[in-house]
Amino acid sequence: MKEKIKTVNTTTNIEEDVIKSLDATPSESLAKDAFLRLIANKGAVVGLIIITLLIFIALFGPYITPHDFLSQNLEMRNQGLSWEHPFGTDDLGRDVLSRVIYGARTAVILSISITVISFIIGTAVGAIGAYVGGKIDAFIVWLIDLTMSIPSLLLVVVINASLKPPLMRWMETQYLETKNTIFRETIWVDFVLVFGSLALIKWPKAARIIRGQILSIRNKNYVTAARAAGVSTFGILTRYIIPNAMGPVIVLFSAILGEAMVLESAFSFLGVGVRPPMPSWGNMISDGLRVWHLHPHILAAPAGVLAVVTMAFSFLGDGLNDAFNPRQWD
Amino acid sequence: MKTILEVRNLETTFKQRKTTIHAVNGVSFSLRKGEMLGVVGESGCGKSVSMLSIVNLLPPAATIKSGEILFDGRDIRKMSRREVQHLRGKKIGMIFQDPMTSLNPVMKIGKQMIEALRYHNKLSKEDALKRSAELLDLVGISNPTERLNEFPHQLSGGMRQRVMIAMALTCDPEILIADEPTTALDVTIQAQIIELIKDIRSKLDSSIILITHDLGVIAGMVDRIVVMYSGYIVEEASVDDLYQKPRHPYTMGLLKSIPKLRGSAVSRLSSIDGSPPDLLEKPQFCPFAPRCSFSVERCWKENPALLTAAGESEESGHKTACWVDTRNGVEK
Repeated sequence: MKEKIKTVNTTTNIEEDVIKSLDATPSESLAKDAFLRLIANKGAVVGLIIITLLIFIALFGPYITPHDFLSQNLEMRNQGLSWEHPFGTDDLGRDVLSRVIYGARTAVILSISITVISFIIGTAVGAIGAYVGGKIDAFIVWLIDLTMSIPSLLLVVVINASLKPPLMRWMETQYLETKNTIFRETIWVDFVLVFGSLALIKWPKAARIIRGQILSIRNKNYVTAARAAGVSTFGILTRYIIPNAMGPVIVLFSAILGEAMVLESAFSFLGVGVRPPMPSWGNMISDGLRVWHLHPHILAAPAGVLAVVTMAFSFLGDGLNDAFNPRQWD
Repeated sequence: MKTILEVRNLETTFKQRKTTIHAVNGVSFSLRKGEMLGVVGESGCGKSVSMLSIVNLLPPAATIKSGEILFDGRDIRKMSRREVQHLRGKKIGMIFQDPMTSLNPVMKIGKQMIEALRYHNKLSKEDALKRSAELLDLVGISNPTERLNEFPHQLSGGMRQRVMIAMALTCDPEILIADEPTTALDVTIQAQIIELIKDIRSKLDSSIILITHDLGVIAGMVDRIVVMYSGYIVEEASVDDLYQKPRHPYTMGLLKSIPKLRGSAVSRLSSIDGSPPDLLEKPQFCPFAPRCSFSVERCWKENPALLTAAGESEESGHKTACWVDTRNGVEK
């Protein structure tokens, strides 16, 4: 209160005041406001913690796994839970916990690449549509609708059946010619095919949101007012359009991240995604399913982790949506 | 006095799929240095579009078909994009109608205010903020330095409009265009903003164009008034002439429709019958003829030009676009 009275009295001394206000703590910004809303939401906080933990595990996977995820020990097959193997071992005697951790690595690498690629394509396409307009925009809208109508599973199966065999053959001949072991690493073929095809399916969502945001914000009064004040086109884009468009884009980013993670597991489960011996939660679930009535822990570990992570994304997505949804602002 | 802005034969159209809307149909007017010009007319008569045409801020669907816009003798339409950008904010400031949506919601007031100062005057951040605080003080905002650090949603409508006015004044523009600055505000705040604009005029010597649809708002403040109807200027006169001896039937109708505080309590408020014309076609006759009680045969055949009103000297600058001498209802 004292502070307030003081500033009232010194308004005449503007110079001193301005210098003071430059170091003063900034008042609540809209982004901070949204963050506070997010923090107030318990589900979102739980989701955020789980996802942070997941990314941490994925990043430092090689340093925290108790065992090598590939080394088999046929004397220790299908062991139950123990201190040595907290999640037990699978039918080849591999440590399940280590495989779940590497599965997290697979899931995080794939889903982040898919999301980033689809956002790069989506932003470019959506922004071109919004800015150029006319026939090109109509074509882009048509392309978005068309792409969204393709079932993702069907596309991945088709790509697997049509592109994978020739690619593998080509790599094999390259290996025979050059003896370069790079061409033996077939795991990258899976990665590239899976995230390539998923990114192809996910970009239209990003494109649609970004196109809509640019179209609506570009015609806002404050953009006209800024242009009237002489702000350059670049300034309008970076300081007026992009910051105002961020809310829905952040919400969509988290949603696509979660979806991509689930889809990766689903494809690996069906055998069209990441293939063994590279661990993915999907192919681990598929393996565990064969022996679940004898050794349920082999199924329970990856399935449980997948369920928790999916739920975390769902909570975080809801929280972000509430935090950034302008309709709920006063 | 020196003419600072001259608009000649401005014609602006909007394209809508296959139809064309004729929003401004050959408007000519001039603004002298230090003068305050009022532009009056009902919604959709082309007031705002004419003003947006001046600084080339039209929406993408609109194009300027023809005309010259001379600022200090140079045609703005022939300037490069860069030159026009230097003009906006620096030489021509604009105040918009709706203060609630005319400020960027994610940017602090201070940061928005210094944009123009840093771009046009190349001031340092500190100097620009200092100047912004002075301007906020000028437009009557208390605790200006505190406000600089706030976001638009923390201010009331009246305060936001004051901020908008301060922003338009940042670089001491030679022309200030105020597009219905009081329409979105309630009556008491309206009066304050009007006082503020008058005050600014006496402190700075900018020329001001004030757009409004309310003749009552500008009666006591402007020097000259231009009345627009359907994309045409139908009457132009000094403020006293316009209120005391309006010559165009539309202006007469507008003046009659202002509610009066004195006089008989039972008299009904008079209104202009009919509705504004469709702008899809450029009329070949007087656009006001269908609603006009003075109309004669000629009104339906030819569109009248804006000429010195009958019985007025050219120096008085009282012009009207009408085939009839409305003082006696006789065709000229």
